[in-house]
Amino acid sequence: MEKIIGIWIAAFLTLCIYSFLYRDNPFYRFAEYLFVGVSLGYSIVLQIHQGLIPFAWQPFSAAVTGGSLTGLIKLIPIAIGLLFFAGLSPQQTWLIRYPSAILIGVTSGVAIPNVLQAHIFEQTRGTIGPFAAIHAGTLSGWGVFEAILMVVGVVCTLTYFFFSIEHRGPVKWVSKVGIAFLMIGFGSAFGNTVMGRVALLIQRVDFLLNDWFGTIF
Amino acid sequence: MRRQVPLILCFVFGIVMIFTQFIPHSLSQSLHQEVRQWYLIIFPFALVFSSIALIRTHVMRIRRRTEHWRYSFLIFIGILMMVVIGVPFGPQHHVFEWLFNNVQVPMDATMFSLLAFFIASAAYRAFRARTLEASLLLVTALIVMLGNVPVGDLVWNTVFAWLPWENATSGMKQWILDNPNLSARRGIILGISLGVISQSIRIILGIERSYLGGGD
Amino acid sequence: MLEKLMSIDRRIIFILVALAVILPTLIPVSMPISVSEPTQKLYDYIETIPAGGTIMLVFDYGPASLAELNPMARAIMKQCFAKDIRVIGLTLYAVGTTMGSTLIQEVVEETGAVDGEDYVFLGFRPGLELVILGMGTDITSIFDRDYNGKPLSEIPMMQNVTNYDQVDLLVDLSAGSLTEAWITYANVQFNLQIAAGVTGVIISQMYPYLQTGQLVGLIPGIAGAAEYERLIEAPAKGTLWINIESFVHLLIIGLVVIGNIAFFIQRRREE
Repeated sequence: MEKIIGIWIAAFLTLCIYSFLYRDNPFYRFAEYLFVGVSLGYSIVLQIHQGLIPFAWQPFSAAVTGGSLTGLIKLIPIAIGLLFFAGLSPQQTWLIRYPSAILIGVTSGVAIPNVLQAHIFEQTRGTIGPFAAIHAGTLSGWGVFEAILMVVGVVCTLTYFFFSIEHRGPVKWVSKVGIAFLMIGFGSAFGNTVMGRVALLIQRVDFLLNDWFGTIF
Repeated sequence: MRRQVPLILCFVFGIVMIFTQFIPHSLSQSLHQEVRQWYLIIFPFALVFSSIALIRTHVMRIRRRTEHWRYSFLIFIGILMMVVIGVPFGPQHHVFEWLFNNVQVPMDATMFSLLAFFIASAAYRAFRARTLEASLLLVTALIVMLGNVPVGDLVWNTVFAWLPWENATSGMKQWILDNPNLSARRGIILGISLGVISQSIRIILGIERSYLGGGD
Repeated sequence: MLEKLMSIDRRIIFILVALAVILPTLIPVSMPISVSEPTQKLYDYIETIPAGGTIMLVFDYGPASLAELNPMARAIMKQCFAKDIRVIGLTLYAVGTTMGSTLIQEVVEETGAVDGEDYVFLGFRPGLELVILGMGTDITSIFDRDYNGKPLSEIPMMQNVTNYDQVDLLVDLSAGSLTEAWITYANVQFNLQIAAGVTGVIISQMYPYLQTGQLVGLIPGIAGAAEYERLIEAPAKGTLWINIESFVHLLIIGLVVIGNIAFFIQRRREE
């Protein structure tokens, strides 16, 4: 019974949202706002149970009950985290800058070496790597063409994004080739996006025709 | 106090995180771990606060009687439904899971599936081969769309059965993704990554201060 | 006639799209599915993991992507349980928590896998890259208990798993940029082997990482899910849906072609 009620509620809400395809209407708005509320409620519960409790409350209670110096140090970040709630008072909003600065500083600090390695070094290696295979004579004629095409594509795309020099003369033509590569990239992204969105629609129709109708017929 | 201290905090924590990653000494690693734990303790507060800020926005909407303000009550009903069960009993509670699976999941999935209709309509109205660049985008999109579904290869293998290339539709799609698409994407990744690194350096050095917001 | 065709009410197109989905759903068709190289690579990689090995399966997605990613997750779990490979489930995306937990339960009912021996679901922790880095040093520094509150020290399959060194592969099922975060932090810092199953929207941007070997395999969208189901010889929703998808793609391609023919005729007339 619980399952059937769930299916009917889900079907009703699904149809409420699809009613937007005709035009904006109160059923759609009902589902839209309820969706925002439920998502927000879900997020609050998860942030408390899977974030605040294991990361802040447990160290806090351990520090208070344990009384060790290393445990008590954990009270400092908890106090800093609580400063976020100063944002609820217009006069004290500036206090949010303290925890924000720490979060931003830490993420910036960890990003620099890792992004450099994962995205700059590795991607550069991937671009010029096939030339080692060409040098060793292990790449077929078609493979050589693909390796050259890749370098041309990367260099031309980067040239298109390079605004420190004016795009005139040869630079203009190189950047035009870059645009061609970008268009192919965006075209493939569009084709794949269509597949993703249509899959979602198919899943919903599958639910309505098989699960929901299955409770009726 | 209001601007200098946050700038100093950002600089100190940023520098510590950069250098401790390169120094394998146990003291450096302990410091790295401690800072990581501080981050993980502070971060959930930011998320809970952002949720509260969103609730406040809707309280203001109701107070100011803005357009469709009555619907904002539905947001509170939604929040209450989840929080009343979820906070005391946890997200593992079967009623909480039932609400998620039968209320949130269908609405979320359906909302995004609407895009399938709008993509089809937009493709019919606006997807035109007006220029060479637009033609490249269009032809690539069509090949990828056809190569992604089994009917593409089925048609090819039936119509062009006399040709030596089997499954050429998905083969063409794969070649596009593996070669010109890869080059374009790599160019974008390199560009974005250089941007991330330079922005991170600017933030740590206090040149980029937009996160501090306005005022003193 | 041409003007009418160009200014057709969008709701007629909506009806055509709906019919292209509804009719093949009611009368299913089956077409042969060819397997792409990225999907094959991931399947082969998991096949090389010995029995008793461990993979991490990360549910970094929400309901908006379940149509594409749930079939992949099912197929991977079935392959792992059949080969006696242990699965550690987790997520860095809050909304992926109940998705992952529910899906694992459904697969467990089908396969008979045992909680704590064949799989464990750790749940969610906020903190993205810092969570990734933390688990690289010590998983218990991030998750000291599983999702149901059982300490990891009491879970049999976690006895010898302390960090990424004991994990053979991480498969990130992602609807956003989190696969890149796993590559940036887990692969670079801890040399963890990573594969991904992604939604259609981000398939294209994964290819540079596949070429460098930063991804050992990739399941691209619902097409990839259907391919994976073929590889494990267990056709399910992925196979069913990609066949239906064929009709919608044909319709959209037809609409684009008609729109362009009308556009060129109109342009020629104006000239």
